[in-house]
Amino acid sequence: MAEVIVGKDLWDDDSPGVISAWLYEDGEAVSQGSVIAEVMNEKISFEIMAPAGGVLIIDAPAETEIELGQKIGSIKT
Amino acid sequence: MTEASDNRPHRILMYENMVKSRYFEDAIKPAYLEGKQPLFNMAKGPIPGEMHLSDGQEPCAVGVCAHLQPEDTVTATHRPHHIAIAKGVDLNAMAAEIFGKKTGLSGGRGGHMHLFDPAVNFACSGIIAQGMGPAVGAAMAAKMRGQNSVAVAFIGEGAANQGAFHETLNLAAVWNAPVVFVIEDNSYGISVSKADCTAIARNSDRAAAYGMPGIHVEGNDPDTIYDAAGEAIARARSGGGPSLIEIETTRLEGHFMGDAEAYRPEGEVERLREADPIPAYRSRLEADGISAADLDGAEAEARSVVEAAFAFARGSDLPEPEDAFETVFTAGKRA
Amino acid sequence: MTQQAATRKLTIAKSMAEALSQEMERDPDVLVMGEDIGKLGGVFGNTAGLLDSFGPERVRDTPISETGFIGTAVGMAAAGMRPVVELMFVDFFGVCMDAIYNLAAKQSYFSGGSVTCPMVLMTSVGGGYGDAGQHSQSLYATFGHLPGMKVVIPSTARDAKGLMLAAIRDENPIIFMYHKALQGMGWLGTEPGAITPVPEEDYEVPIGKANVVREGEDITLVGLGATVHHCLAAANQLASKGVSSEVIDIRTISPLDRTTIIASTRKTGRIVAVDDDYLSYGVSGEVIASVCEAGVPLRAPPERISFPDIPIPFSPALEHFVLPNSDKVIAAINRALEPVNG
Repeated sequence: MAEVIVGKDLWDDDSPGVISAWLYEDGEAVSQGSVIAEVMNEKISFEIMAPAGGVLIIDAPAETEIELGQKIGSIKT
Repeated sequence: MTEASDNRPHRILMYENMVKSRYFEDAIKPAYLEGKQPLFNMAKGPIPGEMHLSDGQEPCAVGVCAHLQPEDTVTATHRPHHIAIAKGVDLNAMAAEIFGKKTGLSGGRGGHMHLFDPAVNFACSGIIAQGMGPAVGAAMAAKMRGQNSVAVAFIGEGAANQGAFHETLNLAAVWNAPVVFVIEDNSYGISVSKADCTAIARNSDRAAAYGMPGIHVEGNDPDTIYDAAGEAIARARSGGGPSLIEIETTRLEGHFMGDAEAYRPEGEVERLREADPIPAYRSRLEADGISAADLDGAEAEARSVVEAAFAFARGSDLPEPEDAFETVFTAGKRA
Repeated sequence: MTQQAATRKLTIAKSMAEALSQEMERDPDVLVMGEDIGKLGGVFGNTAGLLDSFGPERVRDTPISETGFIGTAVGMAAAGMRPVVELMFVDFFGVCMDAIYNLAAKQSYFSGGSVTCPMVLMTSVGGGYGDAGQHSQSLYATFGHLPGMKVVIPSTARDAKGLMLAAIRDENPIIFMYHKALQGMGWLGTEPGAITPVPEEDYEVPIGKANVVREGEDITLVGLGATVHHCLAAANQLASKGVSSEVIDIRTISPLDRTTIIASTRKTGRIVAVDDDYLSYGVSGEVIASVCEAGVPLRAPPERISFPDIPIPFSPALEHFVLPNSDKVIAAINRALEPVNG
């Protein structure tokens, strides 16, 4: 099981972000390295990549507020 | 010493309109963000769509409009609030229009970028430079009817590169129209700086190409703008024809709310905020002997009308859906 | 349970940027210009990364001078370059229409084919987010009505990349419309159906060919851009009630693929045409006229759902009342399925 984390270095301060979109549905297969979600902080968009290939499990749906370093899903490898 | 740097009441009125604009924009910000958090989706909330704030550009509006009567016409752009306020647009109806309410200037049909108030001859719309033609039209109507009114078209510096700018300047000069063109140069057309897209350093120099005076105003200060505008407007009213005024001003917010502004150099916004024209003007007025009580009074009055306007807007009803079909055409004929 | 091969997905914005990047890599004559397309990467994200990759000679932020730079694009195309120029909002066409409909569209014809105009004009269309009458229009009919001009509009990221590559390579002037509701920009909302797997390699989607995106027997639904997704939502909802809907994505407004639409309607005998441009003289009318003049026997009167003939109002209380949506498509389908009393 690989965790999908909002990278700690994505933006400079510790302000919250929000998941703007998941590009895949819960249960869909994803490849390692492909963009699986977009998050926004201060109107700037950031891409979240799949850390491994497998089946996506979504913990936090779109429009959820999130923090840097937060786990928003996992990949069942 | 210029005629503006004394204690004439118009200076207090200019200050009042500046703070009224700023309070208005400050009230718009949280209202606009309602429903748009945590995810900023422009479609949501009581004020959807784009929102172009005028913070930092207030001196341009008040310095020019201080010379205008309700019979004088003003056309403005997608960034209109400060100009509408300085022109005396009905603030309740303006706020209601921005909230898309039935009591708005056009019953919610126009929104923030398309504010029309015929009582004070104010109109704005969103296509760059296209408000200039109508200003010439208003000026020509006044001239042909023997009226003493003038028209003022407000545009940004980006508009000086658009075809309509060149056509209307030439036309205004050929017809000797009683019109003044005012460029609010805030250095940016969304993300593109003026230097990157304009062939010359000063748009006021372009006036010579169209046979009219071109005036460049620095400092973003209501008094110098008042003096320059006064001359141009007097010239127009006395039959001396059109002028072009270019005012260097500052855009303290993004192009629209939600603009990440990554294209602005580090520290630029902070530096511009330190030179915010509103506290600067208050300091100057106090230094010139205007009492803090008078200025506090102006602020209180401004705050109160803005609060009333927002209360009016929020308390008003939304239009009926079928109202969408009204006012596409107008019935009636000239007898 | 077999696991589908995982493929990477893109938004339409990203797929447009990828198409541009790959074609600029392949063909040194391709360049991109327009307002805020350089440093900002496009207000709608479709040119992100291009300035860094290709530099300011080939990725040019322009002044606000549409008639100037679109006319320039026509001249570049005549000289054999391949300009891709952005008109930020289709609503801005008013200031530059001559360069589009009198120059670009007629260059080949006036020269008897000896001077072509291989340019792409990409432009954002659509409303529904409160941007009011001058920033929300679709204008499919306005541009579909220009002889000599091709007009395309993708409804998915996969089609967006393929259509962009095809458009750049086409010898003719092409207007590439992208719908704001489908771009995948967080601040304009998200239509999940537009975010699709997109092949990394080079591929084209043919211009002039509509796409049957859902097969069915009972009724033909024809849409373009955002309305394809309204049609699919309606179709999915009514499937549980036993209604089998065929959904066609027009994809190319001009030249319109009448063959596919006519064949589908011959099969189903019923048609609902859905477009979010103004009603009169519009795409949905053209679709229905094409079906009728082909003599297709219809089991029910044809239906069209469009934006009404009014300027687009600002207030959501007004705008959302008049916009096409899947509920209106469902209502139209139900009307068309009502038995006709003899």
